Amino acid sequence: MMSGSIPLAVCYGLLAIFVVAFLIRSLKIARLPLHLRWELAPVPKEKGRGRYGGSYLEEFEWWKKPREESLVAEVAYMLEEIVFLKALWAHNRRLWWFSYPFHIGLYLLVLAAFGGVLASGMAAVGVAGLGWGILPKWIVWVAGVGYVLTALGALGLLASRLADPKLRLITTPVALFNLVLVLAVAVTGALAVTTVPGSAVDAVAFGRALLTAGPVPHMAGVLTAHLILAMAFLAYLPFSQMMHFVAKYFTYHQVRWDDRPLERGGAMEREMQKLLQQPVTWAAEHVHADGRKNWVDIATEEVPR
Amino acid sequence: MSGRVRIKDIGLRGDQPLAEIDTDELIPLPPPYDNPGGTIQELKPDAAERMVCNLDGVVALSLPHPESPEEERALVDHFAEGLKKLFTRENNWSFLQPLTLAMEYCVGCQTCSDACHVFKASGQEIYRPTYRSEVWRRLVKKYAKPNGKLMAPLTGADVDLNWTTISRLYELAYRCNLCRRCAQVCPIGVDNGLIAHELRKLFSQELGWAPRELHEQGTVLQLQVGSSTGMNQVLVKDNVEFIDEDMTDETGIEVTTPWDKEGADVLLIHNAGEIMSWPENPGAFAIILNAAGIDWTLASEGIEYDGVNYGLFYDDVQLARIALKHVSAAKKLGVKKIVMGECGHQHKAIMTVADRILTGELRDVKRVSCLPLLEEIVFSGKIEFDPSKNDFPVTLHDPCNIVRNLGIVEPQRRILRYLCPQFREMTPHGVDNYCCGGGSGFAVMSGNNFTDWRVAVAGRMKFKQILDAFADQPGPEVKKYVCAPCSNCKGQIRDMLQYWGALEKSGITYGGLVELIVNAMVDVKEPFIKWEMH
Ligand code: SF4
Ligand code: SF4
Repeated sequence: MMSGSIPLAVCYGLLAIFVVAFLIRSLKIARLPLHLRWELAPVPKEKGRGRYGGSYLEEFEWWKKPREESLVAEVAYMLEEIVFLKALWAHNRRLWWFSYPFHIGLYLLVLAAFGGVLASGMAAVGVAGLGWGILPKWIVWVAGVGYVLTALGALGLLASRLADPKLRLITTPVALFNLVLVLAVAVTGALAVTTVPGSAVDAVAFGRALLTAGPVPHMAGVLTAHLILAMAFLAYLPFSQMMHFVAKYFTYHQVRWDDRPLERGGAMEREMQKLLQQPVTWAAEHVHADGRKNWVDIATEEVPR
Repeated sequence: MSGRVRIKDIGLRGDQPLAEIDTDELIPLPPPYDNPGGTIQELKPDAAERMVCNLDGVVALSLPHPESPEEERALVDHFAEGLKKLFTRENNWSFLQPLTLAMEYCVGCQTCSDACHVFKASGQEIYRPTYRSEVWRRLVKKYAKPNGKLMAPLTGADVDLNWTTISRLYELAYRCNLCRRCAQVCPIGVDNGLIAHELRKLFSQELGWAPRELHEQGTVLQLQVGSSTGMNQVLVKDNVEFIDEDMTDETGIEVTTPWDKEGADVLLIHNAGEIMSWPENPGAFAIILNAAGIDWTLASEGIEYDGVNYGLFYDDVQLARIALKHVSAAKKLGVKKIVMGECGHQHKAIMTVADRILTGELRDVKRVSCLPLLEEIVFSGKIEFDPSKNDFPVTLHDPCNIVRNLGIVEPQRRILRYLCPQFREMTPHGVDNYCCGGGSGFAVMSGNNFTDWRVAVAGRMKFKQILDAFADQPGPEVKKYVCAPCSNCKGQIRDMLQYWGALEKSGITYGGLVELIVNAMVDVKEPFIKWEMH
């Protein structure tokens, strides 16, 4: 069986790219300026009304009453979406059959990865040997099942993208590459778990090496390939559209469900006043922009009657 | 139906339509509306010489051809500039976050397609919510990102930016009702309606291209004269006086409309189209508010008698100008609150979309929908009702701007369940409703053969829903009522019922909510609802 090792610098480089790029991209979305209200029913947190899509605007003098919000309803909605991919189940069942195992597989892999980091940490500080320490053995199974589900899902999604004309219409080479990359990570992972004896122990040794900057152990070829691919995937992730799991937080919480009215004297008003001070350069004649006038000038300008 | 259209085809073969609509391929309607399934008038033979008509055999916008290759190039360059401006904070802070999210995170699952009534009715590839968005996305990737052209083979950004692309995209931006039904089902929360909206903004704010009905005859006229109907302050007061007289004659109740009453509790703002086309609606409002003893007024200052704000559909600058005027004049008059009449986009423009630009003392004026007010009145016991006067089949259309966008779902239903014994829902309804096909300004757009398209294609799902809701009594002998508490929806439903001859064939007419309320009032002796097309 072929074997290999990975230079520590490469590992650190890839992981550093992941962390930094992930933070930058997430912050970039979060830092985008306050936008105009653009809520979309249903807003589940609307207590007693979210169920049918109602909002506080159903009250005649809503500003005289306290806003009633239900965190439980909001969290329940989110959990259904995250755990069951409910929107896809309800509106695109055919794709759900592939997308669901794909995503569940990834959730399991994230869980197993956390387990791996924990085990490596324990090994690094010496509270446990090169094994799973206090973690249950079935964590290996979590990873194994994760690999298989992800691989099956990725294959199904790939086949759908290639075979279904309506998906092909908007499929780009990058979208196919993303699926192939995930597939490669999952397949090498599955092979490592099933064909390399002691692969879990090797993986923990690898984790310990990363944490202690110690020498990277020599590992079976397929496990080496898997670890390199997995780290390359992480480094690539923040640059890809697969960051949609982060984006989704913002599309829901800061767009669809953000129905906060502006409050006089509040932080939102101050931010808005700053935004309105920005110069406008739209070129159409009716805008009357000259690059110096700001939004207030333009919006309050008197039109000759 | 034309074969599979690819995304990049939008920029190719500009002398031919990108797609062709065959009305026989549209989803079938029940008899007697199945044969033929609608007609879309052919364009006049010289149409292609006079204007651009290369999208789908339909022309909403009458865009002239550029006069020289230089002009053509300049326009294309302008478009590219606008594409970049959409992503600058200064120029587009108003929608930058939702737009960036929509730009970068679509996973291409096509879940949104089946939610779109335009696509569902037609099966046309180019009407998929994603078609327009993906064209735009690829243009942004290639022409508005660093190294975009270099990376194009990898990113799949294969759309060429040329005259064909931008002229078709302009027309295509007006094949979407901005109803956001697609956004509701998107697992990621990507908003294809917003993308169409932003494209319209780019065309308007950068190139000065917008439908005449929305711009010159819409927001520009409103800012100049006071109303997009062309009515000035004098004329509107005259017209309302006529309406008051008519209502008094018709109902035997003395109807007077107060004007410019300082410090009134309620400033009611109608869509001025009501005063011109459906006088019974402002009339019914006056009857109800007077009977309930509400301290209310209409206002004639500036643009205060017309709640229309077409800026919502195509231009942030015009949107802001009009919304600020609406609220400033109310503040000056010292009223406590503005109550939106039965107009959906007015609701959305003043109540939510403009909410955050109304700062400082403008916040003293509260803004609220007429629907909860009507609910309060109907259940207050101040007016006596006899629901048996409304004993005919009634169904309810949910205006997207009030229901899906603002979440005002139940007040209108509670009124109908109480006052209309034969009320029945459409399927689907509430926040899952289908747009009437007139949304985003279409209801007032009627250039060339566009009315045929918006009725036969965009309005098709709604018409089918209406017929299905009345399927238990389909014949013309049973009179039926579609309640649409929104001016623009009413305009579209009127055109739809006329196009299909639905009053004659099925006994279906339409109107607002207040008409049904007045019709059920014990004090109103004669039937208020007229079973005619108006
Ligand atoms: S917009 Fe949403 S539903 Fe439509 S293809 Fe993109 S991700 Fe899927
Ligand atoms: S906003 Fe409405 S009309 Fe436009 S693409 Fe989405 S569903 Fe279709």
